[in-house]
Amino acid sequence: MNGQALPLKESMLLGLLSLLLFLGLWTVLTVSGIVPRQFLPTPLEVASRFFQLLTSPFAGATLPTHLAASFKRYAYGVLLAAAVGVPLGLLMGWFRLLDDIVTPIFDGLRFIAPIAWVPFAALWFGTGIGGPIMIIFAGAFPPCLINAYRGARFVEPRLIEAAKMLGTNDTRMIMEVLLPAAVPSIIAGLRVSAGLGWQSLVGAELIVAAAGVGFMMVQAQGSVQTATVMTGMIAIGIVGMIIDVLLRQGEGWLRRRRGLEA
Amino acid sequence: MGSISFSHVDKIFGPQGSGVKALDNINLDIADREFVAIVGPSGCGKTTCLRMVAGFEAASAGEVKVNGKTVTAPGPDRAVVFQQFALFPWKTVRENIDLGLRNKNLPLAERDGLISSALKLMSLESHADAFPHQLSGGMQQRVAIARAYVLDPEVLLMDEPFGALDAQTRVVMQEELVRLARRNPRTVLFITHAVEEAVYLADRVAIMTRRPGRIKEVLDIRSIREAEGWDRHPKIEDVMDLESFVHLRTHIWKTLREEKDFQHV
Amino acid sequence: MLKALAGGLFLGLAPGRKPAIKVATLAALIGLWFLLTTVTGAVTGGRFPSPAEFWTSLVQINTRGYAGAGLVSHALHSVKLVAMGFLVAIATGVPLGLWMGWSRKVEALVNPVFLIIRPIPPLAWIPLAILWLGLGDAAKIMVIWFSAFVPSVINAFTGVRNIDRPVIEAARMLGTPRWRLISEVIAPAASPMIFTGLRLSLQASWTTLVAAELVGALVGVGFVLNMAQQDIYPGMILVGMLTVGLLGWGTTVLLGMAERRALAWNIAARD
Repeated sequence: MNGQALPLKESMLLGLLSLLLFLGLWTVLTVSGIVPRQFLPTPLEVASRFFQLLTSPFAGATLPTHLAASFKRYAYGVLLAAAVGVPLGLLMGWFRLLDDIVTPIFDGLRFIAPIAWVPFAALWFGTGIGGPIMIIFAGAFPPCLINAYRGARFVEPRLIEAAKMLGTNDTRMIMEVLLPAAVPSIIAGLRVSAGLGWQSLVGAELIVAAAGVGFMMVQAQGSVQTATVMTGMIAIGIVGMIIDVLLRQGEGWLRRRRGLEA
Repeated sequence: MGSISFSHVDKIFGPQGSGVKALDNINLDIADREFVAIVGPSGCGKTTCLRMVAGFEAASAGEVKVNGKTVTAPGPDRAVVFQQFALFPWKTVRENIDLGLRNKNLPLAERDGLISSALKLMSLESHADAFPHQLSGGMQQRVAIARAYVLDPEVLLMDEPFGALDAQTRVVMQEELVRLARRNPRTVLFITHAVEEAVYLADRVAIMTRRPGRIKEVLDIRSIREAEGWDRHPKIEDVMDLESFVHLRTHIWKTLREEKDFQHV
Repeated sequence: MLKALAGGLFLGLAPGRKPAIKVATLAALIGLWFLLTTVTGAVTGGRFPSPAEFWTSLVQINTRGYAGAGLVSHALHSVKLVAMGFLVAIATGVPLGLWMGWSRKVEALVNPVFLIIRPIPPLAWIPLAILWLGLGDAAKIMVIWFSAFVPSVINAFTGVRNIDRPVIEAARMLGTPRWRLISEVIAPAASPMIFTGLRLSLQASWTTLVAAELVGALVGVGFVLNMAQQDIYPGMILVGMLTVGLLGWGTTVLLGMAERRALAWNIAARD
């Protein structure tokens, strides 16, 4: 666009500058008392609260324990979404009748925000682990299904023609032609699912849960402990980022193995 | 009033010192109202030459001048016709042609007159309010040529303008460009890898070779065209059958094939 | 890939080939609902409402009201908040994205802060927003803004970065001045991606609003859901969910109409 990419040195310098500005503004606003500490603690206070919570409990558990509880729900929910969504998507990509039946249902449900499932989730599966898992499932399911479906549905037609000409049956067609061809699309969908699932987890825990980071944040909000709320946000951000980085690595590895550009 | 000159121009891509030398000591002078084609294999740097005149790239050494002034930035005095047309898909044909005129701050009445004559010149009258995607490739390139011509530029830069067209359309456009150039002569720098196209259209043909890009030979076509009366034949295929044309074409082919790396293509 | 995915997320799957099967499916679903809840009683009213219970709830909220207001006022309030948060987000996000796309310097300056804030899911801002602004409208507009902001910025940015170079070069060789370059070349060229971002932003806005209203509110469809959950009132839960779906669908259709108007040239070019 406007000129070439900046030299690395200059872009690092600008990046550092903006981070310093960000932290500086935050510090000035809080230390000077323009914003009451109660509402916005200083960066240092948030950092020390973060490290404090690593060992001392709040709302019944330490931060790592809350995170573990959250992550367990999250993993179950996303795995369930992938286990249902990907096979269903592939089958829909091959069997037109299934496609015609599921698509209208799916299109109808799609406009209901996943978080709106909270009341039924709580009613059906309780607020322990089942309810939150269902909400995470509701958030993570659509990209799994859509991407597996699109990957299978829009396979290069010549591949299918070639497989048909060789007398391939339905099972083998799905397992050995559609699935491998759809892998890049499925992986991309899983990454989106992982992100949406993480977001749904936070929502679920804010509303119905008796443990987890979201629960910790709501409790802290109730007792006006802003630093604890922000600690929760940071923890959620870090774990979300780690999940994304790991999935990106996995995606890159898979794509390289298949000779596609990363 | 529209001369172009390259003097001792080098172009190095990538970091200084370790970059790739794309152009090596290019020297070429194009006179006012002269039509010069640069022909060469892909990757020889011919498009880079044009982009330097347009102001999209800077020379690493030497100077590129238009009318004696060193080129520094793009501008409407050097209109470009791109291979991929580069029309604005969200503007109609008329709006595409109008943009350059509006940039010159011309009054509405004058713009309307200029647009009408440009549309007429390129036989686009019935498509004035169409969007580019509604037109065929050949029609789109007519719009791009009209957009360039309407600015009354000092030089016209054409970068493989017919490269994206099918063979039949290309022939029609070539004949049309010849008519346009004879009736309304401009300084034209025309880039192509098609030998016949270069010989058919140009007053002079510069033959480029690659790695690094150099001008190997410059041929005077105009004197031969006039001596042999090419312009008496309205159809391109008749010109291509003439012995003088075949002779020139063969000469250029041989020159290009003498290059080692070109033999493997 | 991302583009295809984004397309898939909004356009749904392939357009239904056979309307007859669609109708039959929906009829079968409704029949099944009736069968399970009313005829056989396999699903009790405490788990999922029967059609009759659903109807009673719908009538109740529209006549006597529920959770302090009628369904229409709850819905209008939610739509108002989404519209305000969404508009603030696109008014700030799209220009920033365009600017970041155009200037490498701005990109280098803004990106690090963006990278820090982006991994935090918008819903995680809800407790902080409530701490800062209370349970009223302002807190909800703030979280909706945050959630809708990111897709607006990213897509406007990508839209500018993906513009074909010859299009920009053509505008420059025509001597186009800076402001005209932005308004007549950069912005239209990026607009298909901008609209992709707006659709994502709208989706995020609804999710965030419903979550924020579930966490704490005094009016709105999320509040209806919240009250119905506390009252263990499945009929009203279903009313609330369907309203959320209907509003999400309606606003998406409106945005689609705006897109078709704005991008007539692009849609025709794609077909």
